[in-house]
Amino acid sequence: MRIFCKLWIVLTLLPISEVAQAAEDMLTLEHCHLEGIKQQVQCGTLQVPENYQQPDGVKITINFAVLPAIDNSQDKEPLMFLAGGPGQAAVSLAGGLYRAFNEVRKTRDLILVDQRGTGKSHPLQCENAITMDAYQTLPEDFSEQEVKQCLAELSGDLTQYNSENAIRDFDAVRQALGHQQIAIYGGSYGTRAGLVYMRMFPQSLASVVLDSVGPIEVPIGLFGKSAARSFQMLLTHCQQEPSCQQAYPNLAEEFTQVVAQLERDPLKLTIAHPRLGTNTEFNIDKNKFLSTIFSQLYSLEGRSLVPLVIHQASLGNYAPFAGLTAAGETNMEMFVGLTFNIVCNEDMPKVSAAMLAADADNSFNGGLSHLAWKTACPIWPQYRPDDAFYQSVTANIPTLIISGDLDPVTPPSNGDYADKSLPNSKHIIIKNGSHTPGVMPCAITIINEFLDKQTPGGLDESCLEEIPGESFMTNLNGGI
Amino acid sequence: MIQFKALLIKELKEAFRDKRALLVAMSMGLLAPVMIMVMSKTMIKDFVDNPPIYVKFSGAEYAPKLIKTLKDNNILDFADVPEEEKRNWQERNVELIIPDSYGEDMLDGKAIDIILRADFSEKSLNAPLRRIKEEIRNFSLAIGYKRLLVRGIDIKLLQPLRLQEQDTSLPSSNAVIITLMLGLYLLMGAFISGQSISIDSSAGERERNVLEMLLCQPVSTLKIVLAKLICSSLIATISVTLMLVLTTVSVSFVDLTKIGATFSLDGTTFIALLLLLIPLCFLAASMQLFFAFQAKTFKEAQSTVAMLIMVPTMIPVAMMIMDDKPVWTEWAPIFGQTLLMEDLFKGLPVDWQAFTVTTAATIALTAGLVLTLAKRLKSEKVVMSLG
Repeated sequence: MRIFCKLWIVLTLLPISEVAQAAEDMLTLEHCHLEGIKQQVQCGTLQVPENYQQPDGVKITINFAVLPAIDNSQDKEPLMFLAGGPGQAAVSLAGGLYRAFNEVRKTRDLILVDQRGTGKSHPLQCENAITMDAYQTLPEDFSEQEVKQCLAELSGDLTQYNSENAIRDFDAVRQALGHQQIAIYGGSYGTRAGLVYMRMFPQSLASVVLDSVGPIEVPIGLFGKSAARSFQMLLTHCQQEPSCQQAYPNLAEEFTQVVAQLERDPLKLTIAHPRLGTNTEFNIDKNKFLSTIFSQLYSLEGRSLVPLVIHQASLGNYAPFAGLTAAGETNMEMFVGLTFNIVCNEDMPKVSAAMLAADADNSFNGGLSHLAWKTACPIWPQYRPDDAFYQSVTANIPTLIISGDLDPVTPPSNGDYADKSLPNSKHIIIKNGSHTPGVMPCAITIINEFLDKQTPGGLDESCLEEIPGESFMTNLNGGI
Repeated sequence: MIQFKALLIKELKEAFRDKRALLVAMSMGLLAPVMIMVMSKTMIKDFVDNPPIYVKFSGAEYAPKLIKTLKDNNILDFADVPEEEKRNWQERNVELIIPDSYGEDMLDGKAIDIILRADFSEKSLNAPLRRIKEEIRNFSLAIGYKRLLVRGIDIKLLQPLRLQEQDTSLPSSNAVIITLMLGLYLLMGAFISGQSISIDSSAGERERNVLEMLLCQPVSTLKIVLAKLICSSLIATISVTLMLVLTTVSVSFVDLTKIGATFSLDGTTFIALLLLLIPLCFLAASMQLFFAFQAKTFKEAQSTVAMLIMVPTMIPVAMMIMDDKPVWTEWAPIFGQTLLMEDLFKGLPVDWQAFTVTTAATIALTAGLVLTLAKRLKSEKVVMSLG
């Protein structure tokens, strides 16, 4: 008996150690600290081929982090987080996710992988694009010259930094960490990545959460109509809320008036620099005003300030607008090189002139959201995904789809596309949520329940009713 | 050897004859896990759950947004208190007074004094008052930030320094609230469980005149003492093992993830803990026998040994208070085990040197006591307890 036991151990250990040895050259994993997280977590890297067609060719390093489950005893499959953008580095979001996904993290590891081209996975960054002075430059200052300068800084074979290869990396990380199956949560562009994952490796996925969907059928980058819808809702909600209605009875007119005025005479103001306190030039034109308001529509916090900013601007006070511009300068790094690389090659080629015109025909910011693509895409190096990439995804994996009704870029109609093509899905629309409302505490409890049950139907959604409606700042000193 | 075997069997028979007394001796091992479970559950509930708080608002109508924020966070108006909690909150009597100038001062950007009145020394109000203060602080900060933002000031200026805390404890550390209690109970278990056996087989046997008979036999006193020692420490060891096993089971009923902690003892930790504790069980038994034999009567033995039990409970508490522990605590019996247990619970690698030294010291002390006792038992004075 004892001899048999020993033999059995020897037999089983050998192949395991060989496999481990091979993978070990590629994988590193160690304890580390990430910004905003007090506890130790794990950081790792994995060597992958830059071009999967040439597995022995150039290797790139994929950087990832694992936020370990508080209680790992139940052996539940981990949740991989797919970041947005395209161009957000998942690992840099660790601090926020650690807190937001606390309920999920109680029993599941959270895996964050820097998509190739972001963070520490061979980043594609346009330094000149992100170091532009927020107060002096205008959106239209981003010119071909800037794009060329950026391209000169990028290294590697750009055609390989696409969504499909990113998914191959994610699945390689899953395998290297020894997980048979994982669950994924994608937010914004992360949902597009998630859908590609579902098509390419359905057997790797136990369940999927798509939050604020960018479906295959809808090209990323046309935000005119959706932004106008979102802004219109903001105006309506302000008129429905007594204190906001009282403070800004003519908000829509004031908005039109400010935009018209800026179109006629762009402003050159001298203000105290919001951060430095010294005098600085502050250039405001129609595009800058609209793009700043547009970026406020993403979050409830940002939306709450919009009526006040518009109203004060109509009175000639642009200090609140300067404050918004300052708040927009976050440490959140977007890897613009990857953004252009993916949108210019995977989405814009599918956009016709008629589609652009239809999207630009709106009452909010016209074709402003197309500006950057129109500048960069014509001179960006090309690759084209094959037709399979654009097929609707029909994988039979339990999928929870979440949309925020106020979302300026991925409206609920986007979620409907995914809901239609997926056989095992449910679409939840959060009435008082904006972009990626899945990280709200209420939504996280629903997501957690879904991950445990693995059926998108029959979840307890009662807390969604308690999410309060929009409220707005009605006075420079705050309302009562 | 045969003699020793016979002695041991006699001692074990004596010990296991009285089932009820044995059960009481073991009760520590059975009760401690239940205590740990109940206590940690209550502590977590206080710490994490946000049960409703009922506050007597005055002037609520002046600050609707503030009151709404409080209500969203389960801080409610005393008027809505359910009947069964009414008496409690009436007694606690938390008042929040909002001045009638609130609206005006808010618009003017003046500081507004809001009064929170309560008995701050009342323990049951600790968590509620903390929550009320925190919510009001957050509400106030949010307004302050927005005020600066709309004046064209970068609100990040309010955070010149951001402290990034990096905790170097291992993610596998066990929950502190559990390990503190468990560590204490394990030491107490080691010292308490065997005491009735020790007293009975020494002072008890003397009063029943069994000891005389035993010492008349042609066996060495060392063998007699060793048999008694093994029997008593066996009971303590069983009790400690029970405690460890049952705690692992009982803690699984507590949702520690609420406080971001876990508790699990893997096989290695379990065995290491037992290896630490078994010598302590022997030390405890030897001390109990030594002092019980010293005592003149059964009664005196009982009171002396009862005092002895204070030792293991005092040492860990003293160690908790001592931040800078002198070097000798790493190897001194009981002190060393306390420190090593702490490391084991934290999932740190075992310091085998300290482990060996403290165990050796414990065994040496035990051996010293046993040999002294064996020698003393040769004197009639001690046996007949003639002062």
